[in-house]
Amino acid sequence: MTPASSSPRIPVEERLFSLVLALLATDNGLTKTEILSTVQGYRQRYSVSQPNVSLERQFERDKDDIRELGVPLETLDSPTEPGNNQHLRYRIPRGDYELPADISFSAEETTLLNLAAMVWREGSLSGQSRRAILKLRSLGVTSDEPVLGYAPRLRIRESAFDPLSAALEKKVLVRFGYLKPGEAEARTRTVAPIALIQHEGRWMLHGEDQAVMEPRNFLLRRIVTPVVATNAKYAPFPAEATGRALAELDEIWRTRTSIVEVAPQSDADTRLRKRRGTAEVDIGTLQLHYTDINLFADELAGFGPEVFVVSPPALRDAVYSRLTRTAADHG
Amino acid sequence: MAEAKAQDKLAFLLSLVPYLVDHDRVAVSEVAAHFGIKPEQIREAVRLIGVSGIPGDTAQYQHGDLFDINWDDFEENDQIVLTNRVAIDDSPRFSAREAAALIAGLQYLSALPEHADRAAIATLMAKLSRGSSAEPSQVAVQATETDSTLALIRQSVSDGVQMEFDYLNSRGEAERRRVDPLRIESMDADWYLRAWCHLREGVRTFRLDRISNPEITTAPITFRAKDVVLPDSLFEGSSDDLLVTIDVAPAAAALLIDYIPDGAVTTEVDGRLRTCIRVSHYHGLKRLLASMSGVATVIDPPEARKVVAEWAAAGAARYR
Repeated sequence: MTPASSSPRIPVEERLFSLVLALLATDNGLTKTEILSTVQGYRQRYSVSQPNVSLERQFERDKDDIRELGVPLETLDSPTEPGNNQHLRYRIPRGDYELPADISFSAEETTLLNLAAMVWREGSLSGQSRRAILKLRSLGVTSDEPVLGYAPRLRIRESAFDPLSAALEKKVLVRFGYLKPGEAEARTRTVAPIALIQHEGRWMLHGEDQAVMEPRNFLLRRIVTPVVATNAKYAPFPAEATGRALAELDEIWRTRTSIVEVAPQSDADTRLRKRRGTAEVDIGTLQLHYTDINLFADELAGFGPEVFVVSPPALRDAVYSRLTRTAADHG
Repeated sequence: MAEAKAQDKLAFLLSLVPYLVDHDRVAVSEVAAHFGIKPEQIREAVRLIGVSGIPGDTAQYQHGDLFDINWDDFEENDQIVLTNRVAIDDSPRFSAREAAALIAGLQYLSALPEHADRAAIATLMAKLSRGSSAEPSQVAVQATETDSTLALIRQSVSDGVQMEFDYLNSRGEAERRRVDPLRIESMDADWYLRAWCHLREGVRTFRLDRISNPEITTAPITFRAKDVVLPDSLFEGSSDDLLVTIDVAPAAAALLIDYIPDGAVTTEVDGRLRTCIRVSHYHGLKRLLASMSGVATVIDPPEARKVVAEWAAAGAARYR
């Protein structure tokens, strides 16, 4: 075999692809030594006489990358020497790897899935959607040409989205600094993620706050530090928890109302009338629904003198103090 | 991000092999069109597949342990014929996150009138769950309300006719605009229509909640989404734009990203980010800043500070 120093560099994708092929082809699994010494991309760098520390680390990272694609890379403990890392065997069971044979998608369904993928404009979900669509296309189904070349597109600008969705998949606790609306200082929270939900256009993490062991919603926009994934695993939550969280938010939105007066023909007049659920209770007086008082106060403050908040008092105070602060900051 | 790129390439290789298995002889151009990937990238992937395989009994990657293609047909005619295959027969499952992304997209679409077949969508979601390697991660999106303006925009595109509406700009001036709709986008709770504006003869972004009296016309559409390159940023810059220096709390900077011009210099001043934003006039600026009380402050020019201060003060005065 050619010595490592003179061998041409094997592209990363070739090494990953060769690893997947090798692990799919084995029934009993391969040991780490077998993999590093024989699989393309590793074998060129494998040393028989020296420890292969960096190569082993490479293998660990590669396993993570492969698993992230949804490839079920299994670790089998040795039946004779359980717990001995040197005897662990790795494989990809074909049945768990392949799309079940009875799953197929019609041209119509493929069109719908293409549209669903297009909803995501950028960020993690758009990358995940693109990969899902590649896998869908590998089935060879062509979609009906959609009459509409577009669906509404959503932007996810929150940097917390990616690490949270990764933690959600691995079921590990996360830690982050959270600036609760209305508070001046961020506090560190430790949370078991239950779901990422979007309500009234805002992304939230619905999760169990470990300090109180109760579910809470955290606005992604208010997560002010990088999200740290811990090694602590948590038991999965029932799938219904997600729908329940959305339903609860809807209920909050339904019950919280505010009365505001808007200047006729103003921007506030035009726009607030078009908000979901708005009712005109008197000429120029609107009843509006909201979920979070602080976010709603931000929105109303932007309208300056075009809006006068009649009720509730807490909202009126919040808008007034924002306007006073902005005037002072720019005075 | 070299790793992420390799991961994407791997996902493509694992998708391409079963497709080739199902097609006896297929042109590179056809594969490229099917996957929406450049022909050169297809060729690169095929060349890699053609020399890949498993170590095999000898651990030496013997000929029979490798994929093979008809190299002459490939090099001369740009046709792909798989002549030997190993290890892979079928398409891979979706990952939990991939399935979740599509399911969340479907949830979002399910409220739109043309996808009113809820049962079909539910079936599709169930299939995605079953076709994923683990329970799809929980991502849930509230279904959108059907908005009458959205419905008209869709009709305008599907009928291929222009639409027109009254548009109130942030200066408070109303104008009748006639447009070819190109794309609808939403950011947070706000919806935007990106369209070719026949009045301004250019691509413009309209807030849906500032549109009144929308109507479908009989004039045919001039531009469709595929004819126009839409800039990534929601707001089109112009040479008349005003540059304003601001300080913003790092946590709130994401709110302003669409206003920050390319190449803007950002520095840290007392724990805040000092950068500049681009606005077409101060009417928009005052609204933006008043909605970010305590987290963003205009530093320069003085006229801009004054406009924001007066706007906020006038608002506050209503409560005294």
